[in-house]
Amino acid sequence: MAKQSFIERLDTLDRRIIFLIIGFVVLMPLLIPLGLPIETTQLTEDAFYALDDLPVNAKVLLSFEYGPSTKPEIHPMAVSVLRHLFSKGNKVIIMCLWPDGLFMANEALDLVARQEFNLEYGVDYVNLGYRPGNEAVIKGITKSFEANFSVDAKGTSITAIPIMHDIQTVKDVDFIFSFSAGYPGAIEWVLYAGDPLKVPVSSGNTSIQVNQLLPYVKSGQMKGVIAGMPGAAEYETLLIKKVENGEGQLNQQARMLLPDFKDNRDATKFMDAQSIAHLVIVLFIVIGNISYFVKRKKQRKY
Amino acid sequence: MYTGILGAWVAVFLTLSILSYLYKDNVFYKLAEHIFVGVSAAHWATIAFWNQVQPNLFGRLWPQTDVASLSGFDKFWYGIYHGLHVLFGKVFPEETLNGVLYRGIGDQPQNLTYLFAFILGVFMLFRLIPKIGWLSRWSLAYVIGMAAGLRLYGYMSSDVIGQIHATMLPLWTGHLGSSINNIILIVGVLTGLFYFFFSVEHKGALKVVSRIGIYYLMIYFGASFGFAVMGRISLLIGRFNDLIEYSGKQYWFATPILLIVMVVVLVLTTRKEKEEA
Repeated sequence: MAKQSFIERLDTLDRRIIFLIIGFVVLMPLLIPLGLPIETTQLTEDAFYALDDLPVNAKVLLSFEYGPSTKPEIHPMAVSVLRHLFSKGNKVIIMCLWPDGLFMANEALDLVARQEFNLEYGVDYVNLGYRPGNEAVIKGITKSFEANFSVDAKGTSITAIPIMHDIQTVKDVDFIFSFSAGYPGAIEWVLYAGDPLKVPVSSGNTSIQVNQLLPYVKSGQMKGVIAGMPGAAEYETLLIKKVENGEGQLNQQARMLLPDFKDNRDATKFMDAQSIAHLVIVLFIVIGNISYFVKRKKQRKY
Repeated sequence: MYTGILGAWVAVFLTLSILSYLYKDNVFYKLAEHIFVGVSAAHWATIAFWNQVQPNLFGRLWPQTDVASLSGFDKFWYGIYHGLHVLFGKVFPEETLNGVLYRGIGDQPQNLTYLFAFILGVFMLFRLIPKIGWLSRWSLAYVIGMAAGLRLYGYMSSDVIGQIHATMLPLWTGHLGSSINNIILIVGVLTGLFYFFFSVEHKGALKVVSRIGIYYLMIYFGASFGFAVMGRISLLIGRFNDLIEYSGKQYWFATPILLIVMVVVLVLTTRKEKEEA
């Protein structure tokens, strides 16, 4: 048997070596940040400005459809969107179509609404909690919130919550934003609430879902998408730029919180590792292809 | 403080156990996998019960009311509630406020049509009893019928009509860039649809059209794969970030200690397996 060259031997490389290399290149930028620049894209800008253009006191429905498994991608978006809305004085109604979404929502609210903005529960925001039923819940709230959410996440009757007094159905909110990691998620919001009631919808999603959502963005059924961790980093960048430059509606509290916004940017912090890992994966694909073609050429020769 | 540290140790142990599968299938991975399945099922069931079944179902069948004011059928109905309270006090609470005894959950108006949903829900549980398990099919028939009707409407209006409408684009917009975009989109839709049209043989000019459709699909799959890789790397970053956080003194060096222990155990078990083989 002819002796194999280094390039040919790569074809049969133990996959565990590849895992180790990927682990190493992900770990290193987390320990030693590189501070690579973040460039914003149209998709994220569309989502950002759709929310930014909402008037003061507009009511936004945020739906949490993700859990710990997709937290690194979506949670930074949730934190940034909450900061953005509270910076403008918007009212926030939260609900969850995933059981784990309740915990994610509570964690995000604890940081942004309680620790950073010190807002009043029930007046500035409310967490209605989780309801099983997937799209049936969405369809249900197009008729009545009270019929589906008789109590909020704390067990308080929905009729006793001031922010809900003038919200009978989802048509009474000005914008729907879904933090979605799968089914039920952003698509169901478009299908059962956004399109039938003509309420604008946007979404923050895991990367893997983006291809499925782009047709809805292209057709105007969705107002932009925050796509995975890079999208979250872009949103953080846009928000900080807005607060730094004092663009559009902004309350005094947001200006004071700017250092906190800058210090706590998880997605931006993680993007170095993401970028380097992508480079290495591209390199693997190129080397794998070279190895394949070299081997095929040699086999034909004999 | 100690619960935080314990939580960190559990998180690190489970993370490293799952990651250990990259080396090979092993006892740590199996343990973490089984814990995950069990805890997820219990977590989902608990959350669903206390967020939906208790307030939205029982709360509508038996809204809170003053026991002294009950009469006729209501007295009998709330008598059933009292029986349930005796058996499951936490789920069916009773409370005394200012000397007045209240029975029921929440303050929604009573709606006895929810009894129908309650019965169907109970039928689902009959799957556990083979003799009357067939009753669960009634519940499933309701769920399937409702879901099919709901989805049909959604897909027809948003996916089919909405997307066809969005594809009706001018080939020339007066601007070169957007015109090229529109042409690419329309060609992609038509050739992609044609690729899945099997009533004529794809040969000659039709083969070219079908082949263009395949190329579009390949680009879609490539983009999907790229996004999938991006997503998985993001998740890995999240886990690594937690492992780094829990490696500090405040968490009693959870990550390095557990990592060393697991590596040692895996090396020893691998060596033993080799010796036995």
